[in-house]
Amino acid sequence: MPYREKTAWLSLFAMLVTFGPYFTLVATRYFPSAPLPNLRQLAWYAVTALAQLLILGVGHLYLRRASAQDARMPLDERDQAIQRRSVSCAYYVLIAGMILVGCVMPFNSSGWSIVNAALFMIIAAEVVHYGVVVFSYRRQA
Amino acid sequence: MQGSISNRIRILRFHNGEMSQAELGQRIGVTRQTIAAIEAGKYSPSLEAAFRIAQVFNVPLHEVFQWELNPPSK
Repeated sequence: MPYREKTAWLSLFAMLVTFGPYFTLVATRYFPSAPLPNLRQLAWYAVTALAQLLILGVGHLYLRRASAQDARMPLDERDQAIQRRSVSCAYYVLIAGMILVGCVMPFNSSGWSIVNAALFMIIAAEVVHYGVVVFSYRRQA
Repeated sequence: MQGSISNRIRILRFHNGEMSQAELGQRIGVTRQTIAAIEAGKYSPSLEAAFRIAQVFNVPLHEVFQWELNPPSK
């Protein structure tokens, strides 16, 4: 498996195990609505973001040690083509999400609802990004 | 005009002392997986990479890559 595919799997895994539970709690209205800044919600978000950083940090260190030679190789033309394709796909998700969050939601939502929606769309765009990377490497495209 | 690019990289590697995909990749500056994808016809290399591959095998470009027209569908 190419090094870049391994790092894409790692990023997908990190998002799934951190923001998966976070958004599940948000969707089930686990956090009581409180006036901003709603420190409980903020703390959960901070823990989630730190957990993701930790998983990514440890994972990248491990992958670099396990495939040191591959990790040192610069992106070749196929890697770059895959990057371009994945970023381009993710862009559409992100722009659609930002239109929703920035132009529609302010009329009927406020506070953490908007923040969480924006976070969700960013994560969705990242999932598409890394998903396209993994898919492209899997089918050797 | 529908067509596809085929290549003879596997044969050329065989005729060059069973050169490995990794070695070919190293010589033209791409990964082993990229060579595998090119060989399998899943990825079309840039013109520069195509010329580099031909140069490694010391053959003209058309001996490595061929453009094959698909028969028209009825």
